[in-house]
Amino acid sequence: MKLAHTALIAALLVPAVAFAAGPNIYKARHDNFEAMGRAMKGTADQFKSGNPDIAVIRANAAVLAAAAPKVAGMFPKGTGVEGNPKSEALPAIWQKPADFAAANKRLVDATKAFQAATATGDMTAVQGAFGAVGGSCKNCHESFRKPRA
Amino acid sequence: MTDPAPLPAVRLWDLPVRLVHWSFVVLLVALWASAENGAIGLHKTLGLIALALLVFRLLWGLVGSSTARFAGFIKGPASVRQYLRGLRDPHHAPVVGHNPLGGWSVIALLGLLGGQVALGLVTQDTDGVESGPLNHLVSYDTAELARELHELGFNLILAFVALHLAAIAYYRVIKRDNLIAPMITGRRSYAVPVTAPTIAPWWRAALCAALAAALAGWIALGAPRSAAELKASQEPPPADYM
Repeated sequence: MKLAHTALIAALLVPAVAFAAGPNIYKARHDNFEAMGRAMKGTADQFKSGNPDIAVIRANAAVLAAAAPKVAGMFPKGTGVEGNPKSEALPAIWQKPADFAAANKRLVDATKAFQAATATGDMTAVQGAFGAVGGSCKNCHESFRKPRA
Repeated sequence: MTDPAPLPAVRLWDLPVRLVHWSFVVLLVALWASAENGAIGLHKTLGLIALALLVFRLLWGLVGSSTARFAGFIKGPASVRQYLRGLRDPHHAPVVGHNPLGGWSVIALLGLLGGQVALGLVTQDTDGVESGPLNHLVSYDTAELARELHELGFNLILAFVALHLAAIAYYRVIKRDNLIAPMITGRRSYAVPVTAPTIAPWWRAALCAALAAALAGWIALGAPRSAAELKASQEPPPADYM
């Protein structure tokens, strides 16, 4: 029974790992960023409503905190525009790995701080921490994502 | 056979029409350049100015000078056909204002610009970091669609500008009719006596401008419908990127 469980989990995990490392890394990466984008908009919408719902913001903060640490591992060498013409990943990601890692860290730290702020419920702090997350998105996009026309 | 003495020029286009026209020329270039260079803050400001100008032009089309009014230049298909047939006749009677085909060209351009501004108001960057002032009123997926259509819209506008310039060149070269000078000076003369357009008083333009600016300002604040929403829009932006 235990063996069967292990086998089942392995059977489920193997394709998942292959998926993450294979050509579909582009889709996995895109989906991860899109999840963050949805959480960002979902949070901004709350602030703009004039009556922000802390429960919704907490859920979004959790999505961001879960997605942010995945980013660093989603850019193996050779997964730039050379592997997919639609990719917006700039060569700078692999040319300046230390800078890219620092930008990733800034995102991870900002999302952690944002999640921590939502736990307190102090809306001014929440809003400030959310701004820092946005700043970390922008910081990385400026150097490592193809500029949008 | 001597040419008749030139008739006095009439005021064809009023100042508001000319200002709006040339503002759009400048704005189109500036909007394109700011988008290309990622100056998204400037792009949004210019887009809101374009919105105010469009609203003004729509109001002016209702209460402005006679050559600015939609009721004066929107004609049915029969009039358009008749005008096109008359183009081949070198002695066709001049049209004071937009001709029946040109009237539809105005509507097409205002429609394209209006659609483009509307898309820009709700659009967003993929990651939801940058967004138009009304982005919060639509879903993430709608905003994504708006972003794609906003790109397509610019290409349609470019194609339309090309058509507009081709038409001006046609009138200049084939019809010996200079359309650019009257759009600058506001005046033109005709070979035959014509009824001079009625120019609307300046205060009416000021009123339309105030209304247009108020509407654009309200939309710039995210179109708040309550005191709480207004307050939210005036607080420091929720993120330092906005």
